[in-house]
Amino acid sequence: MSYTLFKTTLKKNWVLLIIFFAVLTMYLGIMVSMYDPNEIETLISMLRLFPEDLMEAMGFSGLVTDLTGYLASWLYGLLMFGFPMVYCIILGNKLVAKLVDNGSFAYLLSTPNSRVKIIVTQGIYALASIAALFAGLFGTGVLICEAMFPGYLDVGAFLSLNFTTMLVNMAVMMISFFFSCLFNDTKMSLGFGSGVPIAFILMNMLGGTSRDAHVLKSFSIYGLYDPLELIRGADIWNINLVYIVTIIVLFVAAVLVFRKKRLPL
Amino acid sequence: MIDVIGLVLKYSNGKGIFDLNFSVDEGEVMGYLGPNGAGKTTTIRALLGFMQPNSGTCLIGVLDCTDNAPEIQTTLGYIPGEIAFLDGMNGNEFLKFMNDMRNTKDLSRQNQLIEMFELDTKGKIKKFSKGMKQKLGIVTAFMHNPSVLILDEPTSGLDPLMQNRFVELIMEEKKKGKTILMSSHRFEEIERTCDNVLIIKDGRIVEQSDVHSLKNKQRRGFIIKPQDITPAILALKSAGFEVKEAAYNTIEVFITGEDVDRFIKTAAQFTILNFDVKNQSLEDIFMKFYGREGK
Repeated sequence: MSYTLFKTTLKKNWVLLIIFFAVLTMYLGIMVSMYDPNEIETLISMLRLFPEDLMEAMGFSGLVTDLTGYLASWLYGLLMFGFPMVYCIILGNKLVAKLVDNGSFAYLLSTPNSRVKIIVTQGIYALASIAALFAGLFGTGVLICEAMFPGYLDVGAFLSLNFTTMLVNMAVMMISFFFSCLFNDTKMSLGFGSGVPIAFILMNMLGGTSRDAHVLKSFSIYGLYDPLELIRGADIWNINLVYIVTIIVLFVAAVLVFRKKRLPL
Repeated sequence: MIDVIGLVLKYSNGKGIFDLNFSVDEGEVMGYLGPNGAGKTTTIRALLGFMQPNSGTCLIGVLDCTDNAPEIQTTLGYIPGEIAFLDGMNGNEFLKFMNDMRNTKDLSRQNQLIEMFELDTKGKIKKFSKGMKQKLGIVTAFMHNPSVLILDEPTSGLDPLMQNRFVELIMEEKKKGKTILMSSHRFEEIERTCDNVLIIKDGRIVEQSDVHSLKNKQRRGFIIKPQDITPAILALKSAGFEVKEAAYNTIEVFITGEDVDRFIKTAAQFTILNFDVKNQSLEDIFMKFYGREGK
């Protein structure tokens, strides 16, 4: 890991992170402010008017009344990975493939730093930025909830929810990062780096619509857990472990693929 | 210092370099010439460790270019053929970034070079002209005082004044005993700086010699306007020169290096009204190696 490169990568990419953080925080604030402990029943009866399959597809699964469950189903069922996915796709491509494609990677390699060191640094930045994003969202989420509805949020369950959501996003980040390391041109890197995560999201959405299609969901990286069950204390550690292994395997694969490949610089 | 042994690097389109063998000794300046697509940049890619060869090896010092690329970089300066800097930086930020990445503490050489090339490092690199980018590339390649330099068309985009500065820089580095491999399209630049020249064509070395004997093989054209054209042509032809009648009662004579004296003595036999040297491109000079006539 090269500290100089990490600093430069941060300098070039922090704005992107801030934009996504700002938008997600705004969403979070709006969702919390829309929560009304007294009128939640009214909201639920309104939602019953929509077709159930549609609601399932959007991830708004259970009709719950508590604040934590409300956030888990309304925010963490789709938005908190759908939106960061775009961040993963953009950043993943920017960190490696873009530099190889435009030739500036030659300057990174004309310093006494190995390819492995450079790729590991870029990969660590990718993961660290996701960690920072969810740490920030957890922090502001708790603050907003405590300010508006003191005592309503189950902080422990909310932390666990954010942690698993962070791991899913890191796994997706590594998918985009892997393709960024595999391909020399941006077109291919972006194509696969966005195609695979988007396919996972679609599988997750379709899988929610009917019992027959449910199998699709279980093949999607997003569909391994149910946010509502998670906050109700379902055992999540085996699923967290699956994500952690996926992240490590993809990271190692990205480094190995990049280590020996031919670079058209 | 630079050793290329049986190097083969094939691309999927069938191009590449095939069984390349050469070496550049310590303190030697080697020119690397060849038409576009001959394999110059490919050779450099292998030397920098960007591409692993199919077979053969290349060494810089005692280090293998593929396996020990990071170690080699501590003593290597490189100018890419197509320079692309990290975007969003200004000149100073880029130089500082490169110094930090290389762990260079001594900035005296960098400042000397900036002054030598009259480089303004303040602006955004994105807004730099081609020549400015090239200058920044030169400063970046030389500022950590490397002992080996690999330069891929280092003067492209520079104005004639700066091309001269660059030649001065190479001479200076040569005096310090640096090993330099330099590709170029300008024969004059190669002639002024290099000891030896390699010529590559279609991925194979077609000629390797020192600059002076190469210069003697070089065909040079002279345009003369004699008072009386027919006897002049006759005299030159009988002396064995390649003569061509050109427009406006002038004749073109082509000679190689060793024949200069004989040519002048032959031409002294008749009255000459005008005498001119024909301008020649590198392609003219090395017609033998370039184009179809090489086959």
